[in-house]
Amino acid sequence: MPLLAVNNLHTFFKTREGEVRAVDGVSFTIDRGTMLGIVGESGCGKSVTMLSIMGLIELPGRVVDGSAVFQGRDLLKLKGATLEDIRGHEIGMIFQDPMTSLNPTLTIGTQITETLRRHLGMSKQQARKRAIELLQEVHIPNASSRLDDYPHRYSGGMRQRVMIAIAISCNPKLLIADEPTTALDVTVQAGVLDLLHELRSEHEMAVIIITHDMGVVAETANDILVMYAGQVVEHASAYDLFDRPEHPYTEALLEALPQVEGEGIRDGRLRSIPGRPPDLIDPPKGCRFAPRCAYAGLDDCAVVQPELREIRPGHWVRSRHPASERVAQPVGVG
Amino acid sequence: MPTTTGEPLLVVKNLKKYFPIRKGILIDRTVDHVKAVDDVSFEVRAGETLGLVGESGSGKTTSGYCVLQLLKPTSGSVLFNGQELTKMRKAGLRQVRRDLQVVFQDPYASLNPRMTVGDIVSEPLLVHDIGDRRSRRRSAEQLLEVVGFNPDFINRYPHEFSGGQRQRIGIARALALNPSLIVCDEPVSALDVSIQAQILNLLKDLQAEFGLAYLFIAHDLAVVRTMSDRIAVMNRGKIVEEGPAEEVYSNPQDPYSQALLAAVPIPDPRRMRERRAERRKHQDVLAESI
Amino acid sequence: MVTDRRSEFEATLTRTAEARGQEAGAALQRASLLRDAIHRFIRNRAAVVAAVAFVVMVGFVILTPWLSHGSAYGVDFAQAYKSPSWAHPFGTDEFGRDLLVRTALGGRVSIAIGFAATIAIMIVGILYGAISGFAGGRIDDMLMRFLDALYGLPYLPFAIITLAIFGTVNFWTMVVALTIASWFTTARVMRGQIITLKENDYVRAANALGARWYRVLFRHLLPNTLGVILIFVFLELPGVVLGEAFLSFIGLGISPPKASWGTLAQDGYSAYEAHPYIIIIPSLAIAWLILSAFFVADGLRDALDPRTRET
Repeated sequence: MPLLAVNNLHTFFKTREGEVRAVDGVSFTIDRGTMLGIVGESGCGKSVTMLSIMGLIELPGRVVDGSAVFQGRDLLKLKGATLEDIRGHEIGMIFQDPMTSLNPTLTIGTQITETLRRHLGMSKQQARKRAIELLQEVHIPNASSRLDDYPHRYSGGMRQRVMIAIAISCNPKLLIADEPTTALDVTVQAGVLDLLHELRSEHEMAVIIITHDMGVVAETANDILVMYAGQVVEHASAYDLFDRPEHPYTEALLEALPQVEGEGIRDGRLRSIPGRPPDLIDPPKGCRFAPRCAYAGLDDCAVVQPELREIRPGHWVRSRHPASERVAQPVGVG
Repeated sequence: MPTTTGEPLLVVKNLKKYFPIRKGILIDRTVDHVKAVDDVSFEVRAGETLGLVGESGSGKTTSGYCVLQLLKPTSGSVLFNGQELTKMRKAGLRQVRRDLQVVFQDPYASLNPRMTVGDIVSEPLLVHDIGDRRSRRRSAEQLLEVVGFNPDFINRYPHEFSGGQRQRIGIARALALNPSLIVCDEPVSALDVSIQAQILNLLKDLQAEFGLAYLFIAHDLAVVRTMSDRIAVMNRGKIVEEGPAEEVYSNPQDPYSQALLAAVPIPDPRRMRERRAERRKHQDVLAESI
Repeated sequence: MVTDRRSEFEATLTRTAEARGQEAGAALQRASLLRDAIHRFIRNRAAVVAAVAFVVMVGFVILTPWLSHGSAYGVDFAQAYKSPSWAHPFGTDEFGRDLLVRTALGGRVSIAIGFAATIAIMIVGILYGAISGFAGGRIDDMLMRFLDALYGLPYLPFAIITLAIFGTVNFWTMVVALTIASWFTTARVMRGQIITLKENDYVRAANALGARWYRVLFRHLLPNTLGVILIFVFLELPGVVLGEAFLSFIGLGISPPKASWGTLAQDGYSAYEAHPYIIIIPSLAIAWLILSAFFVADGLRDALDPRTRET
């Protein structure tokens, strides 16, 4: 049985212009001790998916349909205290901005021990001891003396480490990291990613990492979910996805990525995807990617929405023209 | 393709920019300086791109602003087309600015929300008294077309457009005066990958078509690699390594550049282990200041 | 030479423009900042009620003297101290003057002084603040220190001293006195706005283009403070109206037989035990105007700057 099974999740936002279908039928599962990467561009619904699961969607947003079964319980049906207990205790979370996630008026120590005492009922001394261990675990040097510092004394990367320490303090079975390194410099990012990797194997903790960066998922995730316009368009193991991307969007995205290695990079052009993602108030009737797709032809692409189908074991794709089934050349690749 | 011929267009020598740290409530006194840019020298030749890469706080943007004379350097020289900009008066600088333009990072903050797209793009022409009302408008339409932006939207306001479209408007504005050098300050870091590729391709096209030179400032090593003929790596206010792009990337000499390159996530899961091991070697260089 | 380069550039421009496709795609939905702001304002019920109340009050003071038969100035002791009735809905005062009409006329004076002083405050405050923020450096330091010094002094004595120096109280001296007493806040807020806006890249871009200072100030900075200015109009107005009322109440008001709400209230004060309505009515009118203006300002702030509400 998977640790978390999300099925047919729909989250809509009411606006004056109409209902924004931010998450529109997302399903996936994650097993114990694995790392799932959810990747997509801004507005694709990757963060809203996670917020929905955690019951953190606020009006005008609303989870309209779907289920998220975590260890036998549907998170979407849980209320108030029960959900809060799971959040932070069994599921840890870290967010993009380590600068605003910590309360500037409380010491780092207070913020860590607070969680420990509340969820695990530790005494003051116990919690303090554990807090030092946690800081050591996330590789903060001189942990015992740094415990009484205020957040402003910590750099961005160190704060994100503190956030991770808080998130793992109750030994959660699942850690959700929403763009955990986007606000960080690349060298600091590398350290945080390595830390996540290390913690996952040591604690047998499942990790969902949400990011816009293909490089970040490639370096961390076992399984990857590519999202576009509120839907999952491709779901495969990391190796399979990067070796043989099937969805035209995934392919284009990988080719659009500037490279650091190789020759003739300076003189070449990047593959660009014309236009931009659709309006989710009134999304295209057929395939959501059809208006930007080089392969969308004279068939049903514009009219009938393709289903997510398993093109080979463990590789799911939502497209009528996956790479391995293609015969014709693209209509107009830029 | 870029023609990197002899004559340097921009020569920056021993550039320093120190920001004072002030203390005191009634009487300010300077207690120390932040050495944002600390003795930096580089050159940009006509038609080429120099990539200035570094992490936040490395001084790359400050260097760019000093070149543009948006900040007054503490010391050092900025020679552009053989003219010393740091000693120039306002009127002279105004003339130089025709040849020296800028594209900013944030496509939301770089366009005045109360001006129409047409007014924004033709403002450079108005400021420099080029043409009359009608010819300026026609130029604006053409400029917009050149950057791939539908000129029918000339009377719309910036907030009606997406980040990528707004960045095109900013590029059209920079292009309007036919500059020879454009300082691009993180021009794509706020954009999604698919849009980023559009803008990078556009910048390359414009370079070939109009013979532009770029001082391309960015934190993303892959983006800088895509754009640059030569690359300068900055760390803590200093240039730690400079050279042809291929050399710097394939065989970095400075320990910081090595560490920086090793830290870039590569979209290839098969090399995850190898990369992680490579990174460990540089850990001491990167030991983060707390 | 320069024109040669320009025409060559324009030729290239034409050539490439024709060859280029439009990769960027269509505009987003046509969104209007103004329409959004109006919509947000309308959704704020308190603000809408306040706006209606404000308009009703302004309408009342303008229209009533034309529509009503009551006499505002004619002395008729036979009619003195009549309690509110059909003939005199607000009653009459000690001279038998109709208080409905007098309240409306007094409102005209109060509101007119309010608006005139607010406009003057805006002009002085915006100029001072904009110059200070825009010039920066030493000029800014000097101007701000001066403002700090003024800030330390209490507000109304300022107005009282000004009036004393003028020696007479009429519409214009009142406006000047109130302006002198209350332009500081606007100046300070404007300075802050300008300094914040100066950090915007579009201002940097204008500087990089070689735009002259007045273009930067009048085209890029000031237009973007309009929202704040509008909010401040509705924040200053009630303060000024109250200030005028206070000055009138302590005897520094417009000379009789003309009246403002403040002088009406002061008239009523002498007889408030026997005829409380004479003081209650102008007081309510002042409260009505002040509260409605405050709620309008609040609604405007939410509507024009949605960020303040989200956090």
